[in-house]
Amino acid sequence: MKDLMRIKCLISQDIEALLNQQIKKEAHSSSLYLAMSSWCDQNGFDYSADYFAKQSEEERAHQLKLFKYVLDMGGNAISPEVTGIKTDFAGFREVFEDALEAEIAITQSFKNIASRCHKEQDFVTMEFLNWFLKEQREEEYKARRALELFEVIGEEGTGRWEIDKHVNKITYSEQ
Amino acid sequence: MEKACIDINELINVFSTDRGSVYQSDKLNCFYVDFGGKFARYNCLSLQKLKNIVEGIDVEALLLNTNKADFELITFNGCDHIYLLSALEIVSLKELLQGAFTMFKLNHLISDCLYRLTV
Ligand SMILES: [Fe+2]
Ligand SMILES: [Fe+2]
Repeated sequence: MKDLMRIKCLISQDIEALLNQQIKKEAHSSSLYLAMSSWCDQNGFDYSADYFAKQSEEERAHQLKLFKYVLDMGGNAISPEVTGIKTDFAGFREVFEDALEAEIAITQSFKNIASRCHKEQDFVTMEFLNWFLKEQREEEYKARRALELFEVIGEEGTGRWEIDKHVNKITYSEQ
Repeated sequence: MEKACIDINELINVFSTDRGSVYQSDKLNCFYVDFGGKFARYNCLSLQKLKNIVEGIDVEALLLNTNKADFELITFNGCDHIYLLSALEIVSLKELLQGAFTMFKLNHLISDCLYRLTV
């Protein structure tokens, strides 16, 4: 008997479902960062507002990258419904705490897909995922570094203003 | 008329229950679902859609809802068939499709191994 499903599609139904879940998660991240950008802007943290707006765009790009992969492999990419975005934050620091938490959850999610790929011996998707796993290094580093600024600079006096100015300058290099 | 094509296209029985069968045609790269008095042709995409829709039906809710008949209309865009099924028939169709997809999976595992071994 011919493996008709395989002829139609390179990835399994399980992997396809996981990737569609990830598409939704990236869309959620993108919306969350946009909400953070809005909050920062309204509270006078303009540099952080820019930083989160840029992050939001990156997450959208991640979403589209996954979307394209699912389609290119012959699968059904699902445009996600995004709901339940947190829009109110207790303070400047909480925004960054939430950002790091969100990135950690994304890393975990990719690890979960990777482990499924290993189980199925889907090395093609695994190779595709490597880009994201590497990207998560940078994403977590940046979120962690931003939070570190609250310790290093301190929130007292003009501290928050100083932190805001530095957030936009955070970069990551492997070397 | 469609039944007449079966022999010509050498249908493979993928999975059967006492309520119905799913066949595959290697010649035409398609599937046939024999269920509820219908012999319906599907491609990969539409068979998956059918399975998703049937799996998505909350049979329990259907039975508990007293404002509605215990029947569900099953069809989707691009599908040439309409099923009007009772709760019991939905359970049967679900079982049939899940069985067929399990066989597809098994077939995939086997052909994956054989292909790798021979190439
Ligand atoms: Fe991302
Ligand atoms: Fe991210």
